[in-house]
Amino acid sequence: MHAPEFDSVPIPARIQTIQQLTADTALFRLKLEEKLPSVFIPGQFIQLSVPAGGEIPISPADLPAEDGTMELCVRRFGHVTSLLHRTKEGDQVGIRGPFGNGFPVDAMSGKDVLLLAGGLGIAPLRSLLFHLLRHRSDVRSLTLMYGAREPAVMLFKNELLDLANTGSLRLLLTVDFLTETCQTEPACNVGLLPTLLKGVQLEPGHSCAAVCGPPPLYRCTIDELLRAGVVEDNIYLSLERRMKCGVGLCCHCAVGQYFCCCDGPVFRYRDIKDIPGAL
Amino acid sequence: MVRHFLPDNSLGQFLDGLSLFGALHGPVRTTEGVEVFGPVRTESDLLLNYRRTLIPPKKYLLPPRQTILNYTVAAGYTLPDEPEPHIILFGVHPCDLQGIAYLDRVFLGDRPDRLYRRRREAITLVGLSCEPDEFCFCTSDENIPRNADLFLQHVEHGFLVSAVTSKGEEMLDGLGKLLASSRITPQTSAEHRMMTRIREVARSGKTFPDSPLWERFAARCLSCGACSVCCPTCYCFDVLENGALDGTTADRFREWDNCLFRAHGEVAGGTNFRPDRRERFHYRYLHKYLGFGTLAGVPACVGCGRCRVVCPVDIDLTELFTEDGDACS
Repeated sequence: MHAPEFDSVPIPARIQTIQQLTADTALFRLKLEEKLPSVFIPGQFIQLSVPAGGEIPISPADLPAEDGTMELCVRRFGHVTSLLHRTKEGDQVGIRGPFGNGFPVDAMSGKDVLLLAGGLGIAPLRSLLFHLLRHRSDVRSLTLMYGAREPAVMLFKNELLDLANTGSLRLLLTVDFLTETCQTEPACNVGLLPTLLKGVQLEPGHSCAAVCGPPPLYRCTIDELLRAGVVEDNIYLSLERRMKCGVGLCCHCAVGQYFCCCDGPVFRYRDIKDIPGAL
Repeated sequence: MVRHFLPDNSLGQFLDGLSLFGALHGPVRTTEGVEVFGPVRTESDLLLNYRRTLIPPKKYLLPPRQTILNYTVAAGYTLPDEPEPHIILFGVHPCDLQGIAYLDRVFLGDRPDRLYRRRREAITLVGLSCEPDEFCFCTSDENIPRNADLFLQHVEHGFLVSAVTSKGEEMLDGLGKLLASSRITPQTSAEHRMMTRIREVARSGKTFPDSPLWERFAARCLSCGACSVCCPTCYCFDVLENGALDGTTADRFREWDNCLFRAHGEVAGGTNFRPDRRERFHYRYLHKYLGFGTLAGVPACVGCGRCRVVCPVDIDLTELFTEDGDACS
């Protein structure tokens, strides 16, 4: 499988719908005018072009559908994301990719699968979640632990609660702190994401974890995962780096001697644990 | 390889002959007194005994800023179609030829870079031997670098000319009348001790994590990035888009970036994976001496000495490899 060249022409795409999820985060549903050049694997990323703004790496929040649509969950933060948030339905953007390796979904087969999402990290894991739900009988159990800063910024909450109600997913939610106006939120733990792992015991070798969240999340989650019995080989971390080209050329995203853009962005904990600055 | 003798007084005609194959560029002095690679108008422009240019010849293959895509509302994103003029780059020293050989491995490897390849194919390299000074340590363990099309070696009263590639042979075909056969055997030189040491370090993957030199470097580094700008093998680039104010047209371009700059490791949201200079030096060290990705284990330093010359605060990463540095590791 070959990712497209870094200077390839983006596939034109139209913004079909924009769903505002929180004050600064929206779900953009795009309709691609051409097929992606290779099959998308959850955890891979695409490069989104916003005309006259530039290009940014985004990990899709769902599985690209047969009809050529794809969802991107984007927080307004920098130049390009601000321009994206100013677009309207029907506007044109561009897509290149997919890039990177994605989560090793085959290796999750038969295991107790734990997805750990912090904040916007729910977006790439939602894509993995959809994949695993589609192949639910392949895995032994499926648990999503999702932490947000506060109830108001918890993304996809109703959708996740609906999925949990079908019985195919065990869902554990937590917020860092409760704000005064949100005291009546439904059952939800208060505390950082790793607190959800307290007391959890999994079968070593038969469990795996996929983690995606803000950079500090990884450091505080690994110890709890190891303690819970997930072995180093089975902890998959989706790392964030500044990926400009996507093909290991521009040299911004090296993790040790690996490139996050093409050797990652998903790494096994065992492979990067000794690399200074990796986590 | 056959070597021909080119007498000094035939060099002008030789250059005229070369310029039939493309625009002649070589080491010249600007009006500001800087030694650079630039267009050569007459033989007298050429600096035949220059030490090193400020910027290496990588600028011909990876321009400081290069358009990669154009955008208009009507056409969307499109590839620019600018023909590359053919250039004869004369007077490239062995270290810079090694630098180009390294860039070729990066940009013409298993994922050839379209823009690089177009420029690379449009350039003919004419190498020239040099006299090392106290700043450089040439990698050339063979006298004639294999990626030069032609190579000239300084000898008494002229040059020994060798055609290294078929392109070089083709150029020499028309210049035979200027050349005499030669029995002179040029001197060969042993590899510089420093380069041997660098190769050893690259093979062993040493990172010198405990060396106090990192702190000493970081304490005085100005983050000016000059070491990287002038390095023949530094190729980090940023991808940026310059949109018109009304958003209806744009150019996307790649531009030289610099691992010594603070923004190099920064991601959206403000997290910086290399927030301090020590970490940025480590990153530079890893890339330059140990290599990333498919070039892991291949040192990128060609010993040209530019970074040692230009650093305003005398930082020299090769101090890590001297006995003192080793003792610290």
